[in-house]
Amino acid sequence: MQLFNSISTTVFDVLLAPFGHGVALFDLILWPALLGVMAILVYKAVSNQAALTRVKSQISMRLLEIRLFSHDIVQVLKSTGSILWKNTIYLGNHMIPMAVMIVPFMAVMAQLVANYAYAPSPTGAVELLHVKLDPESGVSSQDVQLAIPDGVALEVPAVKTADGQVFWRLRADEPGDHVLSVFVGDEIYEKHWAVGGDDRKIPTRRLRGIESFLYPSEPTLPAGGPVLSMEMDVHSRSLPFLPDGELGVVLWTLILSLGAGFAVKGVFGVTI
Amino acid sequence: MSTARTLAAAFVVALGTLAAEQAHAYIGPGAGFAFVGSLAVLLVTFAIAFAIILTWPLRLAYRLITVGDPYKNAKAKRVVILGLDGMDPGLLTKFIRDGRMPNFQKLAEQGVFRPLDTSVPSMSPVAWSTFATGVDASAHGIYDFLTRDPCTYGPMLSSTDIVAAKKVVNIGRYVIPLGKARMKLLQKSQHFWKLLGEKNIFSIIQRVPITFPPVPFKNGMLLSGMCVPDLRGSQGTFSFFSTETNDGEAKFVGGEQTVLRPNRQGKIRSRIVGPDNSMLKSGGRMTLPFGLEPAADGKSAVLAIDGQEPITLPLGEYTDWIELPFDAAPTVTVRGIAKFYLVSLEPEVNLYMTPIHIDPENPAMPISHPEVYAIYLAKKQGKFATLGLAEDTWALNNRVVTEKVFYDQAMSIYEERERMFLDAIEQSKQGLITTVFDTTDRIQHMFYRYLDPDHPANAGKDTEEWKDAIGQVYEKVDGLLGKVWHLVDDPNTAFMVISDHGFTNFRRCVNVNSWLRDNGYLYLKDEEAFESGEYLEGVDWSRTRAFALGLTGVFVNRKGRERSGIVEEGSEYRKLVQEIAEKLGQLVDPQTGQGCVRRVAVSQQFFSGPYRFDAPDLLVGWEGGYRHSWECAVGQVTRDVFSDNDRSWSGDHCVDPSIVPGVFLSNRTLAEENPRLIDIPASVLRLFGQEIPGYMQGQMIFPEDGAEGTTKGMLDPTSLPQSGAAPGALIFPERAETSPRRASGES
Repeated sequence: MQLFNSISTTVFDVLLAPFGHGVALFDLILWPALLGVMAILVYKAVSNQAALTRVKSQISMRLLEIRLFSHDIVQVLKSTGSILWKNTIYLGNHMIPMAVMIVPFMAVMAQLVANYAYAPSPTGAVELLHVKLDPESGVSSQDVQLAIPDGVALEVPAVKTADGQVFWRLRADEPGDHVLSVFVGDEIYEKHWAVGGDDRKIPTRRLRGIESFLYPSEPTLPAGGPVLSMEMDVHSRSLPFLPDGELGVVLWTLILSLGAGFAVKGVFGVTI
Repeated sequence: MSTARTLAAAFVVALGTLAAEQAHAYIGPGAGFAFVGSLAVLLVTFAIAFAIILTWPLRLAYRLITVGDPYKNAKAKRVVILGLDGMDPGLLTKFIRDGRMPNFQKLAEQGVFRPLDTSVPSMSPVAWSTFATGVDASAHGIYDFLTRDPCTYGPMLSSTDIVAAKKVVNIGRYVIPLGKARMKLLQKSQHFWKLLGEKNIFSIIQRVPITFPPVPFKNGMLLSGMCVPDLRGSQGTFSFFSTETNDGEAKFVGGEQTVLRPNRQGKIRSRIVGPDNSMLKSGGRMTLPFGLEPAADGKSAVLAIDGQEPITLPLGEYTDWIELPFDAAPTVTVRGIAKFYLVSLEPEVNLYMTPIHIDPENPAMPISHPEVYAIYLAKKQGKFATLGLAEDTWALNNRVVTEKVFYDQAMSIYEERERMFLDAIEQSKQGLITTVFDTTDRIQHMFYRYLDPDHPANAGKDTEEWKDAIGQVYEKVDGLLGKVWHLVDDPNTAFMVISDHGFTNFRRCVNVNSWLRDNGYLYLKDEEAFESGEYLEGVDWSRTRAFALGLTGVFVNRKGRERSGIVEEGSEYRKLVQEIAEKLGQLVDPQTGQGCVRRVAVSQQFFSGPYRFDAPDLLVGWEGGYRHSWECAVGQVTRDVFSDNDRSWSGDHCVDPSIVPGVFLSNRTLAEENPRLIDIPASVLRLFGQEIPGYMQGQMIFPEDGAEGTTKGMLDPTSLPQSGAAPGALIFPERAETSPRRASGES
């Protein structure tokens, strides 16, 4: 997963470099639109277009049948049942393209979320760093320590729970991309904290395993290590006309990419 | 199997997707496409279905209150009419006696088989109009395929008037119409299924001739038939692409001929010529460029129409229907369909393309009622022929294709029609279902010569390979009857098989215009000339008193009706038509020394309907074997009056109607001995328990009380006239013809 995230992050860092992070709206139109166009091309390549055309035609035929034979209630019921069945087949025909597209397009959306969904914590803000330990590692929360860099202050002593969770209340005194070092036994785990400055890619959570796929800003936590997750409270970025933060970016990307896909499907002769 | 695999894959992927925490928010456009598509389908389906199901009791109650039970007095809850254009009672009887028509024999023996008196004149547009309306030609106004425009003497379609949109906007090089073209069915009176619809009796009407443009009616669906134009607006213009030339010009004639010129590699670039582009100020035709590349083995070629996937054309086989999208203007595409047939690759490349049919899935003109009915049929059964005269008789007549190419085409159209018909019967347990098959008519027109070893059209053509083509088609139809049997075999279904007319030989052509010239009724401007151009070009209207146009009619150049009319109404007119009728009635074929006219009907005496004034003033009832010549039909004057018919179109029915009755078979017995085509609408109305409107000229032919009728079983084969029939068509080759039968509307 680390390798996958590294590659996707490198690629996106290169792609996004010319545009920066200043005007989110521009980026959030360009990339989802390109995503939609890409999706439609991939869709065409991996889907069974003939089968889709056939089943769509059968569905629309049954819809017409309902209209034409509206006087015949038995025929209407038959046609409705047929449509439901054909719709299942229609959905089934989407599964292969969906399976092919789901991983790369989720990666793209995760990159867009990382780059555009969050804002750096303002200078002076107090945020919570939350580390969760793997209960099976045998490590106690009492064995966890935090080293903070210059420009970051600990507001109150850490709260350590018996179920392996540790919370630090931190204050950002100076802007910068701070690196927080968490000591767990002999091992050190780093967590980045973006404070002040321009909009940029914001690290939020470090996870291990497959879930880290959605949080590509920081390296994946090592599998089999004592730490399950490291999470820093972050601020949602305010997006014009859209819900703030992750929800806004995900929904917007989905809607715009769908819109773009439907808009160009005729150009590329794609049946959806 | 593929469905099962798809569903299994769907299940596995769905499980995986659901198991991934938070992934559902990120699954992106792939799933979005599926979600949006299927959700839309579900929403629309449930909205429509619920609306229909919830309102159904209300609609039922409304119907019961306003109309009552439409089937309360019905003698049949379902009437199924199988129309077989041109099926001849003589040939049918002959094939039954030969044991080739077991299902027809069964129907005749269990029900009834009689000749069906046809219309006057006995041709499809007239006869099927009579079938649709229950009135004769003088009341529905259709006397022929063509009539003359009294203002110009030029030809015009009898059935349809199409006028382009009047208001347009000029944008750059385009002319954008602000509205639709106006299309009007010129047939008068009203269709009997409209009357049924008003009584909440549902109808499915498929391909009944002269139903274009479709006239909306309640409670029913209609797919237009004969006279639906092709995409070019003609009644069927085929395209022929050939490398064969005569001094650089196309070697073949007819249709749209294109000379192909291969490059050094043998590849060919050319274009398909489509309809006129009325959206361009400069006009011109829409075209579709294509490439044709013969395969190295000489057994196929690849046809690559620009913008479409290439298709392989196997030698000697039809393609499926190919979509032909013509771009009229940006975002405006006119869609047609055609089939290709690669006739030869060596030594010459010859490629035949059918006329461009209106695409039923994207109709450029309304070809059905409601408009979505054609779309529904296309989606259900695949694209199908929509052109009125779908079987391309002209291509065979001009010998650009062989009998096999024509026969295969006709059969594929037949298969489409059969699917439609069977499906309609299966879907409708009540109401009227009518489908007309043209195959019987077209095959008899084009293969009749095979029944007559001495037919002039046999010269230089095959006389063996297809000599049983007509028999095979009759057998095919018998097979259809077998398939239909169990679908209509119930006491609530009245089933009829009808044809609009029969058939006879067409050996000799008579140019009535030339006869009128010879007898001083028609004059050419050039007094030295013996011939005119088509459509009466060169006729001196200041002296001409009568002229012929179409397949049976003679028009008098009447003052007040024709633009340059010279014959006064009243006694002058009456005297003239009587004189021509008498002289023409005595016309003798110099080749045989026998009369060739059985009867000439004077329209004003023969007809009584409100549109008799529009009729040809005289209708020539030829003896079997004769017909208006090809040139006469298009208003041409030729040197000779008589000529041999050497065209493949070798059988016909535009003769005296008494010679060519149609067929009538039913699973119910009759109260009348001599059923007439004009009786069918009235009888259907009565079968459904409805009153016969006063304007209808037919009567109920089934017993009113539902009892067994007196007319049943097989017809008497000796009662059939068979005038002029070819030796191969005669039931009793040794028998002389009998007296003529009465025709519809004849007093």
